[in-house]
Amino acid sequence: MRRQLAALVLGSALVATCGAVRAHHSFAMFDQENQIDMEGVVQEFRFIAPHTFIVLSVKQRDGSTETWTLEGVSPSALTREGWSKDTIKAGDELKLRVAPLRSGAPGGAWVTQQIKFRDGKPIVVSH
Amino acid sequence: MPDRGFIAAVTLTAALAVTTAGRAHDDSKYPDLKGLWSRGSGPAQWDPSKPGGLRQQPPLTPEYQATWEANMASQSSGGESYNPQATCLPSGMPRMMIAYEPIEFIVTAEATYVRVDHLSEFRRIHTDGRDWPRAFDPTYSGYSIGKWLDVNGDGRYDVLEVETRNLKGPRTFDASGIPMHPDNATVIKERIFLDQADPDVLYDEVTTIDHALTRPWTVTRKYSRDRNAVWYEHICAEENHHVVIGKESYFLSADGHLMPTRKGQPAPDLKYFDQSRK
Repeated sequence: MRRQLAALVLGSALVATCGAVRAHHSFAMFDQENQIDMEGVVQEFRFIAPHTFIVLSVKQRDGSTETWTLEGVSPSALTREGWSKDTIKAGDELKLRVAPLRSGAPGGAWVTQQIKFRDGKPIVVSH
Repeated sequence: MPDRGFIAAVTLTAALAVTTAGRAHDDSKYPDLKGLWSRGSGPAQWDPSKPGGLRQQPPLTPEYQATWEANMASQSSGGESYNPQATCLPSGMPRMMIAYEPIEFIVTAEATYVRVDHLSEFRRIHTDGRDWPRAFDPTYSGYSIGKWLDVNGDGRYDVLEVETRNLKGPRTFDASGIPMHPDNATVIKERIFLDQADPDVLYDEVTTIDHALTRPWTVTRKYSRDRNAVWYEHICAEENHHVVIGKESYFLSADGHLMPTRKGQPAPDLKYFDQSRK
């Protein structure tokens, strides 16, 4: 599963330079030191406590898709960055940086400062 | 003609007004703490003046230093079973003052209330001159007695001194798992005051006395004010994907399945489930 995904990962094994998600969880289950860049289509954006989620369809090398569950910062923290529950929606195509689960299962934490639309447009709309 | 219920309500309101008039809150005596206070992008480790991890150098006894290092070892492989907040338990004192989410101070003559968005925690700091209660069930936020001081002598209070006892566990200082003693005999002393040069900056100097420590540990937390506050509800249990079963931490996928968080992690023990049905 991860081997297939590797072909689609744009830049793997990036050294974590961006702030890790700081939250009440330790987020230790996500590998902050080996972040990956990925692309996918939003299935769902959950703007909900305690932390937001992007459910992302990621295309595999064999043409199938895999669903990734990606945790973000809290809704209030995202709001302070200019986000709302409508900032991204199902069908949006995204490029984002993710600290993946250490286990290799399709989950991770997405990095607020490293997300944009696939065409390069920035996500944040206002402050 | 007004009904009897209305008359009774008016009479009760008037009576309460007379009863409480003697200890009415005089805003001019207290510092203005209105608004939203946040740590902004400030650190979430307990001592914000030092980097996280071992460089926090908490004054732990050797036994609790070993516990902390074991917690961090667990963390580095993805575990967080040592962290009560992972399953939405309250931070309790003093960790709730990290302000993972904004906090609010509500000052009255009898008590100052601290409302913490994160995990919907709440503190009641009694400032009515009471003594410690003879019996009081322990709580995560503890029982707090405070005293307002006019340190600079300008006729207005500027420091709230607080002591907190009667705590409940489990609690840790922060997400790295700096432990507190399970006897929960913690005593926490605080001095809460505005920055003299900038009234939109607030400090909480927190000294923790705990049997896991070799000496009292003092740190100073800092908060910034937003006077045009927008508050958000933060219900941790609403959609928490971090699952702890026994000593193992798992992650819940969007479609409701448990995911392993580290390589080679065993699935939970399903001995009470019918294994013949798949």
